[in-house]
Amino acid sequence: MARHLGQGAFAYLLVLPAVLLVLGLIGYPFLYAVLISFTNRVVGNAGHFVGLANFRYLANSPDFWAAARNTVTIVVVSDALKLAIGLSLALLVNQRLPGRGIFRAILMLPWAMPAFVVFLIWRVVYAPIGGALNLVLGAAGITTEMIDWLGERPTAMPAVILATVWRGFPFWFVSILAALQTIPAEQYEAARVDGANAWQRFRAVTLPAIRQVVVITVLLSSIWTANAFENVWLLTQGGPSDSTIVFPVLAYFGMQTMQLGQAAAVSVAMLPVLAIMVFATTAVAQQGSDE
Amino acid sequence: MTRRQALWAGRAASYASLCLAALLILFPVYWMGVTSLKLPRDILRTPSLWPHAFTLNNYRILLEDRGFLLNIRNSLMVAGAVTLIAMTISSLAAYSLARFRTRFRGAIGRLILFAYLTPTSLLFIPLSIVMAQLRLSNSLVGLVLVYLTFALPLATWLLQGYFRGVPRELEEQGMIDGLSRLGALVRIVLPLSAPGLAAVAIFTFTGAWNELLLALVLISSPGARTAPLALNDLITSDTLPWGPLMAGAVLSSLPLIVLYFIAQRFMVQGLTAGSVKG
Repeated sequence: MARHLGQGAFAYLLVLPAVLLVLGLIGYPFLYAVLISFTNRVVGNAGHFVGLANFRYLANSPDFWAAARNTVTIVVVSDALKLAIGLSLALLVNQRLPGRGIFRAILMLPWAMPAFVVFLIWRVVYAPIGGALNLVLGAAGITTEMIDWLGERPTAMPAVILATVWRGFPFWFVSILAALQTIPAEQYEAARVDGANAWQRFRAVTLPAIRQVVVITVLLSSIWTANAFENVWLLTQGGPSDSTIVFPVLAYFGMQTMQLGQAAAVSVAMLPVLAIMVFATTAVAQQGSDE
Repeated sequence: MTRRQALWAGRAASYASLCLAALLILFPVYWMGVTSLKLPRDILRTPSLWPHAFTLNNYRILLEDRGFLLNIRNSLMVAGAVTLIAMTISSLAAYSLARFRTRFRGAIGRLILFAYLTPTSLLFIPLSIVMAQLRLSNSLVGLVLVYLTFALPLATWLLQGYFRGVPRELEEQGMIDGLSRLGALVRIVLPLSAPGLAAVAIFTFTGAWNELLLALVLISSPGARTAPLALNDLITSDTLPWGPLMAGAVLSSLPLIVLYFIAQRFMVQGLTAGSVKG
């Protein structure tokens, strides 16, 4: 068949179903979301064009600013922790230690579990009565108080972040570990012969080898974390009051109250920041594939 | 301190840190398992780190009273269908992108990457409207269709990386021996990228198996609920039935954990080949 069609046509024919589905299932809904965000659409009524009214409404809504603050906090703090933990553990496992295969397998476990399962487990761990965290603190003699980790303002956000890091760090760990394993041992030897100490060897040999991986992981993880729904939804549903509300949960609430225009505006409001991260990721990823 | 002693001290510190990390990973998993085996009164009234008595009652409640097997079956069907469809369409697309230098290759590659990075949280509202218009809301077919939004770009992007790794010469040899292009793809490229295909299939399956937001938005009838939806319903009820909840958590994660540990080697390669090297 290929010979009759010519290569060009055949190449397009192969890619056509995927392109059509992507345009239909992602491109079209994406534009549709932007369009709806400029209307007062509710469930059952297509509504009409209202200009920037939804965005003005959001700008005056405390929930929206709480969501903005919380989303940024979760992304920045959990990315920093995931980087620190992922990098440290990757460096540890990259040593020639007997039994490191077992540790690598265990450290990947949170990534192998479904996200919804992970956050349900943490919900049970954080429970004030009968929750594991209070039991452990009690057994260790630290406090016997029944702390409601997810129900109190000061602890809810740290609790959400901790669970998010627990689930998310293995991706950083494996990515960085894979990059570390491409570094030839001779480079470290050469640096050692030149009299470089451990920190200098890290700066001169390790860091350049993992920089690309770290940059792309930061970007990917930020996009995923900013758009994560399960962590907050299953742990706190955004509460107490608005202390852990994030954009995806806010948009979902908007949808539950049938305010489709406003709900879409919440998602669309994230778009500028998201677009920057997506373009940066694309640039870095394509740079990598051209090498 | 001699060099030897320093080496041992370093090793001891490494092991201590790794053991601590392993403990922090394993403890919540242990807690899931142990809670699923506890008696209800033991969970709340006499909480302890080790159960007083073991029971399978939570599993019985979940499977018999709440019909969780139906939810597992729905999840399996949806994730299986998504994997099958995404792998077929993506293999063709990825092969085209990896082998042919057409004029729009760059643009199509970028489209796929953008699609991969477009988050569900942006799409769930219009998708729910579109699915309602197509009369596919509240159906597993509709769920399969919307899950392709993340499965298809991911699979295409990752497979493209694998197919590039297959030497062109092997294919040319096959074509000299009388295979068509499509024949070369099926007989030569796919078998040689088998580990990659396995990894991508697992990623796709996992993505569909884990999805909650779109299911929450689209599915309302009990008969069409997937496993994450069923467990979500458990926690939104007034009393938290912890035992059955954790029993559901165990049952929903076991297949995936087993899958990951069998295919661990492919998974790491797949992850780095696709997301980093392209």
